[in-house]
Amino acid sequence: MVAVDIIFAPIVFSALVYFFTRGAEQFAKYIALGWFIVLFIIALSWYHQLPEDGWLFLGNYLSVPQFGFELTLQIDALSVAMLLLTAALLILVVFTSWNEKKQGAYFSLLIMFSGPIFGVFMTTNVLWFFMFWELTLVPMLFLVGIWGEENRIYAAIKFFLYTHVFAMFMFVGFYLLYKQTGYWDLTLIKETALVTPALIWWLMFIGFAAKLPVFPFHTWLPDAHVQAPSSISVLLAGVLLKMGAYGLIRFTVELMPITTMHFAPWMLGFGLATTFFAGFLAIYERHIKKMVAYSSISHMGLVVVAISTMTYDGLSAALYEMIGHALVISPLFLIAGWLHHKTHTWYMDEMGGIMKKAPYASAIFILAGMAALGLPGTMGFVGELTIIISAVKAYGWWIAVIALAGLISAGYIIWSVRRAIHGPMSPVVEKADFSMSLPEKFALAVYAFLIVYFGVNPQPIFDLANQAFSWLGGM
Amino acid sequence: MSFIILIAAGLLVPVFYRNNIIIAKLIAISAFILSMFFIYQGQSLVGLFPGFAVDSATKLMEYVLLVTLAAVTFSLTGFERPLIAQMLFLAGASIAFLESANFFLFIVLFEVIAIISYILVANIRNFYNAEGAIKAFIAGAVASGVILLGFALYSFTTTSFAYIDMNVHGKFTLIAVAIMLAGIFYKLTVVPMHGWAADAYSQVNHAAAGILSGVIKSVVLFATFKAFYKFLITYPFATVLIFAFFAIITMTLANFMALWQKRISKILAYSSIAHSGYALIPFAAATSIYSYSGILYYAIAYIFMQTSVFLILNDLRRELGVKYLEDLKGLYKKAPIHSLFFTIQLFSLAGIPLLAGFLAKAVAFYAGVDVGLWWVVLIALLNSALAVAYYVWIIKHIYMDEPNNFETISISTGSLIGQLILLAGTIYFGIIGADVFNATLP
Repeated sequence: MVAVDIIFAPIVFSALVYFFTRGAEQFAKYIALGWFIVLFIIALSWYHQLPEDGWLFLGNYLSVPQFGFELTLQIDALSVAMLLLTAALLILVVFTSWNEKKQGAYFSLLIMFSGPIFGVFMTTNVLWFFMFWELTLVPMLFLVGIWGEENRIYAAIKFFLYTHVFAMFMFVGFYLLYKQTGYWDLTLIKETALVTPALIWWLMFIGFAAKLPVFPFHTWLPDAHVQAPSSISVLLAGVLLKMGAYGLIRFTVELMPITTMHFAPWMLGFGLATTFFAGFLAIYERHIKKMVAYSSISHMGLVVVAISTMTYDGLSAALYEMIGHALVISPLFLIAGWLHHKTHTWYMDEMGGIMKKAPYASAIFILAGMAALGLPGTMGFVGELTIIISAVKAYGWWIAVIALAGLISAGYIIWSVRRAIHGPMSPVVEKADFSMSLPEKFALAVYAFLIVYFGVNPQPIFDLANQAFSWLGGM
Repeated sequence: MSFIILIAAGLLVPVFYRNNIIIAKLIAISAFILSMFFIYQGQSLVGLFPGFAVDSATKLMEYVLLVTLAAVTFSLTGFERPLIAQMLFLAGASIAFLESANFFLFIVLFEVIAIISYILVANIRNFYNAEGAIKAFIAGAVASGVILLGFALYSFTTTSFAYIDMNVHGKFTLIAVAIMLAGIFYKLTVVPMHGWAADAYSQVNHAAAGILSGVIKSVVLFATFKAFYKFLITYPFATVLIFAFFAIITMTLANFMALWQKRISKILAYSSIAHSGYALIPFAAATSIYSYSGILYYAIAYIFMQTSVFLILNDLRRELGVKYLEDLKGLYKKAPIHSLFFTIQLFSLAGIPLLAGFLAKAVAFYAGVDVGLWWVVLIALLNSALAVAYYVWIIKHIYMDEPNNFETISISTGSLIGQLILLAGTIYFGIIGADVFNATLP
């Protein structure tokens, strides 16, 4: 019973939280924090219950046999990795938005968001997957549109429309899947041969690519990430983009391996284009949060490259980089947003000398930045190294050019550190008051700890990856 | 029995509503409940009059219709009291229309519903324009003429009017059915026969517009599908082309028109026209086994959400004078409960999941994919994604802008009950699809 409750309860629960905390809004965040911790514990317990390989079955609900439409909840190691990541990020988001305005509504929307996002990773029924996928947009629309920066409404509506429109392509792909196989359930579809997989593959790829985002479909992301409040940028980058990568692994690699093999060069091309295009844009950017957003896109490009190899190594590297990207980009977004909040400027060349006034935040910014460019001892290093190795194994030596991506990241990260963190102190920074609340400090410390911990000890994540992708012939 | 009860209640209600609207409402609601009971017993019209037939899908549609009309009854104020009697007559006529099993009854009851709808739009005159009512009347009269012409031609080709005996290969059948459908398209507001609807829906009393665009359109949609089903599956090639063409131009044009509007009621009117376009896809895909489920699901979802948005708009118009999008700014501060209902129903219209609007589209469009019309479905889905632009634009005004003034209103108990009933319907059919499928598929 727990499984279906943790999807639907928050949606109902969020309205109650909103109405019951109207007089005392500060309680909303404690309720949210408690709920997210419960989610984390449940996800952890599922992690321990996982069978060696295959699915952990959690239940079947709301069955419509005539239409094959049924809320089938089952999870494997890949879903559990995503669930743990989601729950952990939600907990940290509560800390980083400790002093947000209109807390009642804000935290009720976060609670509401936790339902469908868990649903996305838990269900194997394609139609329900799509329903949860779309439903995550609704709380995000309000979170970006109400709590964001100056251009928030434009960004929120663009984000909503863009991802909604591209999801429709995916939906037609799902329809065709059902038409040809007669099943909505992933595990059953997998056992059936498809007649026209190319069309289905492209329709689904476009849907996931827009979410990921892959190069020509990425334009919603810089707007949404920049205008969203920093904590919501964390969720967008850490969880929503991962839905795209998760979908890509689940629906292309697992569901139609032969077709994916056929189109892998295209995927590789898109991945490389994304990595380099976004990387160069990040170098060009003066706007600190946009720089981080482009860096985020660039790293997701690497994930696409890793997925396109279709090998055990590649997918394990992709899973590692998905988690690594979430943990590395989040503090960068948080500090970028925090700096804007304190200095009232977005531009790195107007900052400068922040190190002297805010050493704590600066240190974590540098650490996360170094992780983004792949410094050994951090998650970024392991992620990029494994991706390069798997790609070279799959495509030959020439693919080592993606090592240049690391070089490009070094370019924008080091330059931004040089411009914003070090250097002579600018008058803007001189005037600003850089006090940081305790919960924010705590959350940043947790991120820093995790980046280094999994950087030095990547084994737990690779164990999960081993469980998730053992069918590809792992160790 | 249901029919008799509803008509009797319709005659009785005007005696009371001048002095005491509560009693009138009670009579109406008990008539709705009682007739639901008789429908459940299988004694609506079938046992009493010849020429009627009922299946479980029709029964489900009738329950939904009566529940919706009961919800509307709850939310009416004294000013709109004539609607109570009209709704009772409408309910009786609609039940007969839904259960009719031959074309003669179909034509007659179509006329009856048309006449009720003219009265519905015309009799409350206050701050609303008469223009919309006149347009509805003239367009309706033209439609009636066209349908009668088609029916007259059809009567040459057949010896029996029953749906199941339809002589689909007769001399004039194609022409006759085409002309009849042209007339019905007026009522379904299919482009290019939609011109009257945008004005009629936006200029008459909004509660009446809710009934006109939500209830009557759903009923006509479902009954038309039932009546022409045999024809549709006999000529799949012709019907696919015709209906797919009309579906695409209707939804595309209506969505683009809706994007330009500044009057909130016009936006909802064009959205209603766009929804007719989506609902034509099951007609194009009649040969699919999912077409009947699709049309029933669409009619059910549409009746709940469309009626609900117009009822909320009616409250807002009356209490706050909301007319244009601008007037909605910061509504969540002025009318929080109204805003919440409005937002949820708009999301349902936009096709956001866990609400009836999504599953209805999912099923209705799947029928299209099932017969190979995936490109039509792709256009329809992109259209419905485009439509999100204006629905979200309304929501943006409600939640993301600051209000111009600070009058606050609270929702009346009647409205609250009515909206809760409609919302329950929207959410129930958004999560649980089993009822619709059990009613239509073995």
